[in-house]
Amino acid sequence: MGTERTLPFLLLAPTMLVLLALSIYPLVYAVRVSLQTGASARWSLDNFTRLFSDAFFQSALLHTLVYALMALTCELLLGLGLALLLNHEMRARSLFRAALLVPMMLPPVVVGVVWRLALNPNFGAVNGTLKSLGVNTESLTWTASPRLAFLSVVAVDVWQWTPFVFLILLAGLQAIPQEPYEAARMDGSSAWQTFRFITLPLLKPAILIVLLLRTMDLLRVFDQIFILTEGGPGFATETVSLYIYRAAFRFGNFGYAAAMSFVLLVITNAISLVYIRLLQKQESR
Amino acid sequence: MSIPQPLTPIPPLNMDVRFVNVTKAFGSSVVVDRLELAVEDGEFVVLLGPSGCGKTTSLRMLAGLEDVTAGDIFIGGERVNDVPAQKRDVAMVFQSYALYPHMTVAENISYPLRVRRMQREEMKSRVLRVAEMLEITALLERRPRELSGGERQRVALARAVVRSPRVYLMDEPLSNLDAKLRVQMRGELKRLQHELGTTTVYVTHDQAEAMTLAHRVAVMRKGRLQQFDTPMNIYNLPANRFVAEFVGNPGMNFIEGAVDTAGRRFVSGDFSLALSDSHLERLRRHTRATLGIRPEHIEVSTGARNGWLRASVYVTELMGNETFVFLQLGAEKIIVRAPAAFRAEPETPASVRFETSRLDFFDADSGEALR
Amino acid sequence: MKAQLIGRLLRYALVIAAVMAAVLPVYWMMTISLKTEIDQFSVPPKWLVFTPTLAHYRDAFSTRSFGQYLLTSIVVSVLATLSAMVLGTLAAYALSHFRLPGRLDKHFALWILSTRMFPPIVTIVPLFLMMRDLRLLNTRLSLIIVYTAFNLPFVVWMMRGFFSEIPRELEEAARVDGDSRLGALRRVVLPLVAPGLAATAVFCLIISWNEFLFALVLTQTDAAMTLPVGIAGRVTQYEIKWGVMSAAATVAMMPILVFALAVQRYLVRGLSLGAVKG
Repeated sequence: MGTERTLPFLLLAPTMLVLLALSIYPLVYAVRVSLQTGASARWSLDNFTRLFSDAFFQSALLHTLVYALMALTCELLLGLGLALLLNHEMRARSLFRAALLVPMMLPPVVVGVVWRLALNPNFGAVNGTLKSLGVNTESLTWTASPRLAFLSVVAVDVWQWTPFVFLILLAGLQAIPQEPYEAARMDGSSAWQTFRFITLPLLKPAILIVLLLRTMDLLRVFDQIFILTEGGPGFATETVSLYIYRAAFRFGNFGYAAAMSFVLLVITNAISLVYIRLLQKQESR
Repeated sequence: MSIPQPLTPIPPLNMDVRFVNVTKAFGSSVVVDRLELAVEDGEFVVLLGPSGCGKTTSLRMLAGLEDVTAGDIFIGGERVNDVPAQKRDVAMVFQSYALYPHMTVAENISYPLRVRRMQREEMKSRVLRVAEMLEITALLERRPRELSGGERQRVALARAVVRSPRVYLMDEPLSNLDAKLRVQMRGELKRLQHELGTTTVYVTHDQAEAMTLAHRVAVMRKGRLQQFDTPMNIYNLPANRFVAEFVGNPGMNFIEGAVDTAGRRFVSGDFSLALSDSHLERLRRHTRATLGIRPEHIEVSTGARNGWLRASVYVTELMGNETFVFLQLGAEKIIVRAPAAFRAEPETPASVRFETSRLDFFDADSGEALR
Repeated sequence: MKAQLIGRLLRYALVIAAVMAAVLPVYWMMTISLKTEIDQFSVPPKWLVFTPTLAHYRDAFSTRSFGQYLLTSIVVSVLATLSAMVLGTLAAYALSHFRLPGRLDKHFALWILSTRMFPPIVTIVPLFLMMRDLRLLNTRLSLIIVYTAFNLPFVVWMMRGFFSEIPRELEEAARVDGDSRLGALRRVVLPLVAPGLAATAVFCLIISWNEFLFALVLTQTDAAMTLPVGIAGRVTQYEIKWGVMSAAATVAMMPILVFALAVQRYLVRGLSLGAVKG
């Protein structure tokens, strides 16, 4: 049974090679780049120690974390609400579901274009609509003012990714069997109690998966912000990914960019690990 | 089912199957333990046992779907341990039938021929012949999901039969059919094997299938072969308590007790039975033993009868053609097969008589039959 | 009864509001792509009534280079999808239908998944430098290679899931019937996972089509850049041609919406990497 033994390895080999060359090797390469400063190719930790005194990096990190936290909270609450709303028999449910999913499927660039148009202070749909409702929109310059710009990019993320949370949680809700609900009804539980003691615990694995996937995506956010504000005005919406891009491809400081990307990797992995532990605990039950 | 003629002349080779000291382990758990089994050419052998006894694993090793951990397997004298499944030239009928859902019935049946690159015409005529034989000619253009369970079963058989393999392997092929169909297919299967005369190894946990189909039955338990013998001997001369218990429906009654050699009696609490010379011969050197007796070897009667044992009716179950009577006999509960006319309310006093020539005795510890 | 009716109406109202919020901004962009410049800037905004024009589309795709970008996007997405599908499907088959010694199959699967977990920005610097050293910057090939690697873990995980749903016995039956491993794969297993293959391929197309960061970094010339990079380049210019940009974005979006509709059934599975079976 020689082929029986070797065949699976033959089938796996191309994938492994590609991933080694394009995922693992770059990682190693990045370590080297991050540890070698300047043209002297001297090994040092300068790129990492510099992070502690770099105000740009610290504010980018803060932006990233605040952005992630705000977006995650809104997306989870809205997504759960929508999922519960649509978990009822209703007319045209599949049509509604499909329409709700549109933002999530769009290329990030298109999302950027859509919202640059909609949020344009002068002729955008948002201010235009508000104006026709009698609201004074003079101060609502959206992406042009630092504070509003940050809220805008968070709002755009919520707009694009709430559908994802909704979709996964709806699938989770629909996978819950009917029996517990019937039993709860027989036991005289109220709607809130049913939600609290049956729906929520049974939905917990799906919620954890959604949180895991969204957190990983939020911490690496780049595309929409790059197109909407390019990190501006000033650096008000600059996240870590954007700063890494700026350091590497505007200033050509590849070593420093690589060092920052490792910090981002470590943070992402640490947070993901917490979710994965929680998930495993959930599953082993 | 009509069988016009064998598909190919009886193969000239001797297609016997031998397991020599075969062991299969998954990690540290031993699933088949030193199996020794010799199936003769043309023989129909049934591997019988409860789930997890290693019967299916043994069959899969024979098919080449599992590696052998230790020992050797021979088909027709050839050692096949290292021969991959596709080169063993055996045909297998799976419990789930494993019909290819995306192919029509005809394509399913011709698949083994197609992968052997048989000529189109020859293939067509073979498929037609087999379809006629199994009475599925009308189904040839359908797909598996449009078939009933019984029809799928026939297609699976046809796919096995179409190419006259060296050995047929069947893994609980009837277990997904309803009771009535199962009995019917059982008969057809037996007839089919008789006509084709091909060596067949058949796995089941259903003792009725084993008894009716097999030339010889191999009873397995926890990876070990318990007994390999004709159905008659398996039933009448079980090698140990496990075989005695597993074969027979309802199962054999067992009473654990002590042997009073001086008083020539077998005693268990209030229960006491006189022993004959031959019983005592079998029980020599034993102070404790398990007595076994099949439900049909006990006679029951309501009320007290002279020389019979006192018992009381626990409950009765009318089966139509007979009645199962559950009795309290001292501290023991026993089952007796009585005529259908037997009627008694629970708690009715009753008497029973054991057919003493049909008593079995087993070692109290090892469970080995004492003969 | 009345409370129930109100509850139902409220539910419909909320759902419709959510649908409007999701769809209207996109619809607004599409109207911009069809409006004359005067209509684009009118206040209050014209949602329904305006004189449609295809001028921006003509402008974008014949006078400007968007046609070229579109072609690049198509070539890159299709080739990256094909190569990832071929390699990934074989690997997934090995991981799902073979028992490898020492549970190696499980370790490999997790390792493959983990490569998908790092933020792309982490590998962007080394990949840029590697491509520069290989003189592959500003080529379609560089994107095809990177997207293949990017899609591979996804294909392996999705297809592993689909393969594991095919009863093992079918493949075993094929082998006992005399077919080889690869013959059984071709004649029995692959036809049965065809819907899964199609869905996975569509997901790869979507991922490759939408990808922005790698394309931005690796391609800067008109000849090599993809549609998203081309659009982004126009967005950040000083004077924005709103109509042209909207037209290009609308074209970039259309195939994705069609594809997404085609894989709706598998959406949950695809987006959660098989973690949730929808």
